[in-house]
Amino acid sequence: MSRRWYEAGPLPAAHTTRRRDTRLTILASLAAAGGLWLLQAFAGGYVVHMTCVAALFAVLAVSYNLINGVAGQFSLEPNAFVACGAYVTALLTLSPAEKAASFILEPIIWPLSVISIPLLPALLIAGLLTALMGFLMGFPVFRVRGDYLAIVTLGFGEVIRVVANNAQAVTNGPLGLKGIPHLTDLWWTGGLLALTLFIIVRLVNSSYGRALKAVREDEVAAEAMGINAFWHKMLAFTTSAFFEGVAGGLLAHLITTISPSLFTFFLTFNLLIIIVVGGLGSNTGAFLAALLFTYGGEWLRVVEEPLNLFGLHIPGIPGMRMVFFSLILVAVMIFMRQGLLGRREFSWRWLWAVLDQRRP
Amino acid sequence: MSGRVLLEAAGLTCRFGGLLAVDGLDFSLASGELAGLIGPNGAGKTTCFNLFTGRVRPTAGQVSFAERPILGLRPSRINQMGLARTFQNIRLFDELSVLENVLVGFHGRLQASFLSAILRLPGYRAEEERMFARAAELLELVGLERLADERAGSLAYGQQRLLEIARALATGPRLLLLDEPAAGMNPQETAHLADLVRRLRDRMGLTILLIEHDMRFVMNLCERLTVLDQGRVIAQGAPREVQQDPAVIRAYLGPGEPVRPGQGAGDA
Repeated sequence: MSRRWYEAGPLPAAHTTRRRDTRLTILASLAAAGGLWLLQAFAGGYVVHMTCVAALFAVLAVSYNLINGVAGQFSLEPNAFVACGAYVTALLTLSPAEKAASFILEPIIWPLSVISIPLLPALLIAGLLTALMGFLMGFPVFRVRGDYLAIVTLGFGEVIRVVANNAQAVTNGPLGLKGIPHLTDLWWTGGLLALTLFIIVRLVNSSYGRALKAVREDEVAAEAMGINAFWHKMLAFTTSAFFEGVAGGLLAHLITTISPSLFTFFLTFNLLIIIVVGGLGSNTGAFLAALLFTYGGEWLRVVEEPLNLFGLHIPGIPGMRMVFFSLILVAVMIFMRQGLLGRREFSWRWLWAVLDQRRP
Repeated sequence: MSGRVLLEAAGLTCRFGGLLAVDGLDFSLASGELAGLIGPNGAGKTTCFNLFTGRVRPTAGQVSFAERPILGLRPSRINQMGLARTFQNIRLFDELSVLENVLVGFHGRLQASFLSAILRLPGYRAEEERMFARAAELLELVGLERLADERAGSLAYGQQRLLEIARALATGPRLLLLDEPAAGMNPQETAHLADLVRRLRDRMGLTILLIEHDMRFVMNLCERLTVLDQGRVIAQGAPREVQQDPAVIRAYLGPGEPVRPGQGAGDA
């Protein structure tokens, strides 16, 4: 048989198996929740921390993929959105005493100096503010396309970093914010990931998702078919900004200290690697690649440690894993041009069909 | 058959740098007409379509559709008003399936909001069901129902042209602009297409304007022809009259050579 194991041939139409698929999704979510509970109960702090990071990166990758992969608008701004979300949430949850203590360059401005609210409303506000920022940013940036869009959005990312460095009465400048309560746990990150996947996957599979793909495939034709390309790009951009903002907020409460240097272009760059390796346009790909990237990055720490190979002593080289990382990236680009999954998506119908054809 | 004026252009001029692509064009199309726009290469036919659909802004002039000015509106808005088109150099959404291409056509008229679509509220679901049913009908109409799950980019040339028509029909047009629908088709496919276009007008009540170089196709199908040359209308009327018009013959074959009437504007 020339077909590969993962190629299942034509699948049944989605609506014929909807009920079964919904049940399977609920079962899988429960299983995942059970997995989180086990991790929380038995795994060490390090594994829990890495799982939180992985989940947040998955959220970021899936939302970034919405604008870059699904709508095909190559943009480079997620570091700006993550920074916005992180700062807003942290400023809202930090206690007035903590703020007074850490703002030593310039005192923090008035309303922020007394506000201290719980994490959930803070995250919501951060998400909405970031979405608003994305919305306002969309007006100028979507006047251009292609490479120009990438450059303009890259510029916005830098602007946010520069603002964070200089608006000292709000952000505490380069000193950043310290003593952010460690509130992010597996439930927060897992919950956000579930919500993000639920909303974005449904969006992509709806009529709006088809319209976004149409804009990606051929903007002129999409416009001629009655799709307002501008508003659809805005829709994808704002949605992705919302989730990136919330993820930024949780990230701040996971690492407890944030500063402008955390949100450089490298953050965007890593996310870009993730969605390209996963397969631009594939939610499943973005999700899997985010997990591979965060866990893989940790496993690769092995190569940075001193080694004794056959009596040969190799001292630890910091940064060595980045070399390995690049090699992996080069390999992906050579052997899998479309990324791990191309534009394929996981579906229960697919899994069913694959299991079915393996049955003797 | 013909009724009120549906599309009207007055003094339409479009200049690309030093090239005057359309030069003071006056044109009107009555509701229910099946008309053709012909002319030698570079006469400005496709530019006319781009002007009508809002893709290119004219240097001067007016265009109105259903008695409303449409100049300066976004192409998507013009499409939603009931003016749909196909493209000369096929512009399908290649990576999407044949069915999805048609479904995209319905999106511009979707009533359900973004939130309703994400939450799959009953209103959205009902619309989506209607969309799928209607898309299946349209695919059957153009004869592509068996290829619904294929990638649009993998279809044969002639099939891609048919799919473009189905996609344009999905937007619910009153006027359909077909830009060289028969290009690249074999005689059988062309006959099938002529049949389809006639049915669209007779049964679905569409007004149709088409650009075509296949003269037999145009002569047999269209009731009225407008001939463009160098951005200007040089002749207008019933196909037989236009065919024998000396200005038309000159435009196609150049001045000089005497041409026997009747075989004049051959398959240029």
